[in-house]
Amino acid sequence: MLRADVSVPYPEPMPPGLELIDLRRRFGDVVALDGVSFEVGEGSMVGFVGPNGAGKTTAMRIALGVLGADAGEVRWRGRPVDEVARRRFGYIPEERGLYPKMRVLDQLVYLARLHGVSRAAARTRGLEILEILGVADRSKDRVESLSLGNQQRVQLAAALVYEPDLLVLDEPFSGLDPVGTDVLIEVLDRERTSGGVPIVFSSHQLELVERVCDRVVMIVDGRIVAEGAIDELRASRARRLVRVEVTGAPADWYGSIPGVRLEAEVTGGVIVELAEDSDDQRVLDLARSVGEVRHFSRVRPTLSELFREVIAS
Amino acid sequence: MSDDRAPTDRGMWRVVAARDFSVRLRDKGFVISTGITIAVLSIFILLRAYASGPDSFDLAVVGDRTLPDRAAVIGERAGIDVTVVVLPDDEAAEDAVRAGRVDAALIGDRRDVLEGTARLRVLRGAPSLLDQVVQAAAIAERIDDALADAGASDATIEALQDQHPIDTVPILPPDPDRDAKAAVALAAVLVLYGQLFGYGVWVATGVIEEKSSRVVEVLLSTIRARQLMAGKIAGIGTLGLLQLILIAIFAVTLATATGAIDIPADSLSAAVLTVGWFVLGFSFYAALFATAGALVSRMEELQNVIVPINLVVFASFFISIGAVSDPDSTIAKIASLLPISSALAMPVRMVLGSATTWEIVASLLIVVGSTALLIPLAGRVYAGAILRTGAKVKIRDAWRAAS
Repeated sequence: MLRADVSVPYPEPMPPGLELIDLRRRFGDVVALDGVSFEVGEGSMVGFVGPNGAGKTTAMRIALGVLGADAGEVRWRGRPVDEVARRRFGYIPEERGLYPKMRVLDQLVYLARLHGVSRAAARTRGLEILEILGVADRSKDRVESLSLGNQQRVQLAAALVYEPDLLVLDEPFSGLDPVGTDVLIEVLDRERTSGGVPIVFSSHQLELVERVCDRVVMIVDGRIVAEGAIDELRASRARRLVRVEVTGAPADWYGSIPGVRLEAEVTGGVIVELAEDSDDQRVLDLARSVGEVRHFSRVRPTLSELFREVIAS
Repeated sequence: MSDDRAPTDRGMWRVVAARDFSVRLRDKGFVISTGITIAVLSIFILLRAYASGPDSFDLAVVGDRTLPDRAAVIGERAGIDVTVVVLPDDEAAEDAVRAGRVDAALIGDRRDVLEGTARLRVLRGAPSLLDQVVQAAAIAERIDDALADAGASDATIEALQDQHPIDTVPILPPDPDRDAKAAVALAAVLVLYGQLFGYGVWVATGVIEEKSSRVVEVLLSTIRARQLMAGKIAGIGTLGLLQLILIAIFAVTLATATGAIDIPADSLSAAVLTVGWFVLGFSFYAALFATAGALVSRMEELQNVIVPINLVVFASFFISIGAVSDPDSTIAKIASLLPISSALAMPVRMVLGSATTWEIVASLLIVVGSTALLIPLAGRVYAGAILRTGAKVKIRDAWRAAS
């Protein structure tokens, strides 16, 4: 019901990047993924959101081949993912992982080599990426001697050093201060715009997802409950939320119109929710008849509001 | 191990091996373990050089050389080297003892010996072998004197003084190198045990390090668990092999230089084979250690999972030590065939020349075959357990989790 409400078809056909198709996975009696399907199209930045334990990490691990699926398929550029394709994926796992006693640059070179890059190329690229991330001066230090924020940057460098075709990042923003967050956004944007690298990341910071992503995938209890362009998801709900500021009217002036319900009281007016078949023009007419209309607009809910609404149902 | 080419898909384990090799090479633990092994081995060799090196003594004498020369002759037959040093007077002789230039000084001539008034001056206590030789010479002199007094001819006296009147006839062909071979075998067991155990534990800690730091998830997004395990075993095993070769060269050099062990040629070739046994034994044990490490998430839990493996290695070690003195015992023969103990027991029996060709071939086939069987099994448990953090993973669960 709700799924039908908030899902929006793709505005235009997107070249297939990463496709997760009907993934299923159980851990004992717990169903972690119950038929999860979504896409990360070429050049898109997708936010992967959902409450704790919804299945985000499991889905990402399966996409990276770190975990097996009970059923379903992961495809990359239209073909089942193989070892060679996977080697070109960049990954930051939820629980960060680096060798604590290894030096920063050595670590990047090692990981790049495991992704099929030659030693010389790995060194050059490693220094470049550390420079971009602002930790080039720590390249000879052991990872354990770095602050958590800087370790996080090295972790990102480890995912970027072999110039991946795709980035899958599990909670990349957690633990970052505002400056670190901005640096990360900048780097991700650069990867996407100049490299055309599709990116999917999970996050609980919905304002941030709204700010930087063009698409969002929402997962609850192992099922995808909403997926689409953020603007369109918001617009689809905006149809039904109207903010009216009218002076000189009684408090519940809208109560006489069938299908109109108070959503929230706001400064100077109210936000009302209209039922599917209600006409917003009737609301406007009534408002004008009871007082002076100062403001009348559709309200686009924020991603957080959409999220809460989805969770609540 | 540091070629610059991009690694191929199937060669990823080499990249892993190169890291594990170089990281451990620079680890303090490597330096310390090399130091300890070399120190223990040096003590072993030097003790041997001191305790059983050619027994040789310097005996000072003033004037009459009859008794000391006789002592030298008796000593020579018993493999004891007595050098007679002639000094001008008693005082000089005693000074030489006091200064440590000689081991003892005989004060008195043949007459004094016969009358029982001669003295053997030593610093604190006479070296027992030297004392025995000198006393034996004195007894012989006194018997000669008594026989001469009784009218025996010189020929009769000489015949009676035959130092070896009874022929010794061995039942089996004698092996003059037996003692040296036993020493080589014992040293080989000591070092092999240290290498197998030490580097095996290193494999386990290396696995736990990757698991506890969670870097394993990053690694497994690009490399298969089995390649990761193979690379780790190969890298650490190569370092262990290299260290073993260095230690072997050091030990052989030191033993030869100090004369502690007169290394027989066939023992040397057996020592080379010992290095080969390390490769086989290590592959077998390391697969077990790697799997054990994958079952736990924290270094503190390491002991719990490696106890069964430790017991096996330890038991093999003791059986092999026993095999040094009795290489033909049933238990030594069985231990040299089982894959869990052959890496320690077989080199002992080979060095001592107790193993027959078919036993060696059978033992080799068994250890190679069982390792070939073990590695995929261990690899599967490793793959099923390596991403599970938290409580210790049950082997059965890990087996099921991997596909």
